[in-house]
Amino acid sequence: MERYDIAIIGTGPAGISAALTAKLRSRSLVLLGSTELSQKLTKAHRIDNYPGLPQISGEDFARRLREQLSDMEIPVTEKQVSTVYAMGDYFVLQAGEDMIESRTVIVASGVMQGKLLPGEEKYLGRGVSYCATCDARLYQGKTVAVIGSSAEAPREAEFLAEIVEKVLYFPVLGELPQERSNITVLHEKPAEILGDRSVTALRTDLGDHEVSCVFVLRDAVMPDKLVPGVETDGPHIRVGMDMETSIPGLFACGDIAGKPYQYVKAAGQGNVAALSAVRYLLGAAGNNIKEEA
Amino acid sequence: MVNEIINNDFEAVKNAATAVVDFNATWCGPCRMLAPVIEELSEELEDVEFFACDVDDNGALAQAFGIQSIPAVGLFKNGRLVEMSVGFKPKSAIKQFITSRA
Repeated sequence: MERYDIAIIGTGPAGISAALTAKLRSRSLVLLGSTELSQKLTKAHRIDNYPGLPQISGEDFARRLREQLSDMEIPVTEKQVSTVYAMGDYFVLQAGEDMIESRTVIVASGVMQGKLLPGEEKYLGRGVSYCATCDARLYQGKTVAVIGSSAEAPREAEFLAEIVEKVLYFPVLGELPQERSNITVLHEKPAEILGDRSVTALRTDLGDHEVSCVFVLRDAVMPDKLVPGVETDGPHIRVGMDMETSIPGLFACGDIAGKPYQYVKAAGQGNVAALSAVRYLLGAAGNNIKEEA
Repeated sequence: MVNEIINNDFEAVKNAATAVVDFNATWCGPCRMLAPVIEELSEELEDVEFFACDVDDNGALAQAFGIQSIPAVGLFKNGRLVEMSVGFKPKSAIKQFITSRA
């Protein structure tokens, strides 16, 4: 398996800025996110404080970012990373059923808006899942709920429906899955995840639904779930001035690295994170040479 | 080297001054990621004996130690559980977990 120098998670201004700098430094990189880039960005009405791009709309800004990526020959890999494993001197990123290896990781996946559902944290790994493609097989022949809060959620629900007995789909954001006999769309508001040793039901504003698993599919997950063991501060990953985190080789930038949630700050931090990753790679290579000598 | 525990046989752990037991299962993704980390640590920490315990094959042990979520890494002294670390953690954190108590 190819091991990249730098894996970048997120296609907002922070992740893209990091990718541009990494590319200019001739590092092998993988940019993971969406070809639509960032929902938050494309929905922005107007940005007034980005130097050189006065009064640009979010949509125009996103289009120019896409053009720049294409000019620099940086493809976007359309995958959602559910977990980053720090293996020691490298990382493994789980993206659906794929595992991606990289020497460094830059997390630019945005900040999770809103709160966790009651019961979500308690039953995580015991009937609460953030990854349909990873965990679908555990629920063969069972009924599961999908809380759809991401652009990819309808596709994941369709995938689940091929494996599990029945999918109850609760749309929070975005489109609906394609019609299938075993997908039921319920326009109810998820309120709580219930269980004993593992999940037994999803409670909504209209009643309880018996399910074996609740797939909570959001664009961003809490950072300590995304990167087990990383030091966090609420919904943010704790970073230093070089965008370094508590895990050597892992960097964070943009909204996930803290406030202010501004595009210009995100882009600047993306640049710093990429340069820090390059410096880390040089240092790691230097160590190897010393050891071998 | 990491020794596989079979048939709920815990004798080797009881006889070790310091032992680390990695409770896992084949269907658990984070467990599969932790396995190579444990393997590397077993090479680095020579005074500690390392074991892997599949909770499906060793149900009695999993129950005895109240394993509810895996991966779970237990640190044992002379067969007595000192502390349990639950979930995947970075290699440096697992190493710290072991060496600060070993």
